[in-house]
Amino acid sequence: MADDLGLDLGKKKKSKKVIKIDGDDAPVETGVEAVEDGLGELNLGAKKKKKTPKTAGEEVVEEKVPTLEIGIGAQNLIDAKGAWPDYTYEEALTLVYQVMKDKNPDFAGDKKKFAIKLPEVARAGSKKTAFSNFLEICRLMKRQDKHVLQFLLAELGTTGSIDGSNCLIVKGRWQQKQFESVLRKYIKEYVMCHTCKSPETQLTKDTRLFFLQCTNCGSRCSVTAIKSGFKAVVGKRAAIRRAEEATAGK
Amino acid sequence: MSIANLNRPADAFEQLETEDGVRQGVCHIRIQQRTGRKTITTVQGIGTEYDLKRIVQYLKKKHSCNGTIVEHPEYGEVIQLTGDQRDKVKDFLIKVGIVNESNCRVHGF
Repeated sequence: MADDLGLDLGKKKKSKKVIKIDGDDAPVETGVEAVEDGLGELNLGAKKKKKTPKTAGEEVVEEKVPTLEIGIGAQNLIDAKGAWPDYTYEEALTLVYQVMKDKNPDFAGDKKKFAIKLPEVARAGSKKTAFSNFLEICRLMKRQDKHVLQFLLAELGTTGSIDGSNCLIVKGRWQQKQFESVLRKYIKEYVMCHTCKSPETQLTKDTRLFFLQCTNCGSRCSVTAIKSGFKAVVGKRAAIRRAEEATAGK
Repeated sequence: MSIANLNRPADAFEQLETEDGVRQGVCHIRIQQRTGRKTITTVQGIGTEYDLKRIVQYLKKKHSCNGTIVEHPEYGEVIQLTGDQRDKVKDFLIKVGIVNESNCRVHGF
């Protein structure tokens, strides 16, 4: 009982959504629904199908039941022996994609996400920031920590180093999201293959140039060298001058 | 050496030439942290044919910030502006046509 109720609820939500999305088509849409209601179980499948791509999170548990029915709907579409309700273009499209996914699971347009841990950031004193899982993130990206560090410091325009407990200390006050956006830039430039976007790549150094070799599609392209560029004087000029004089004197 | 490298241009910067024949380096727009939550923006690599002084004058007035031109032995003349003006400067440089969008790199967080 409870399950049925849950499903019904989902259904209703679904139909509302559809109407909202394509306002002009609303009457057509409802007409289809009426037909489907008459046909019973088979249509249920078709409807559920629509639901899968659009609704998120919460209804994952419910989805298990409908998937079977989708199968039936898809079969109908292919051999057309059973009752064949009037599918809308959208419905037919999702059904086709479902079939494609079922037939070759490793191929279909499902994008594999490249997930990385969030940087753990803490303030070390009042003017420095500690990035505690820096080495772990480097390992996840399969890149040398030296290279990542160089990029990070060049991009942030500061100085920093790795301390005894494998923790990166960067000068300046930084927040997690700032590190995150820089790491994202790094991944885009030095981890993801520029051709096929897969993260399965290797960074190799060849005659002073860095090359990104993709293990998935075999493409190989050069990436820009990291250069920190111009740095403005931000500290106390008097202190810098004093330091210069001290080194010159010795 | 691979054979593909045989017909490379004699001048390494030749490939940066755009359709209109304007030679452009890459323009870098960076940000640096100062004390507290203050920042400065640096613009490096604007072509020497442009009058940096007038660009700075305009940017200062437009975005109500201070700014100067700093001479650097390696990078040439660099514009410094107070505050985070990265996006505004980028928009301006592209709109006026001083740099190409593909040649403009915005750095920082």
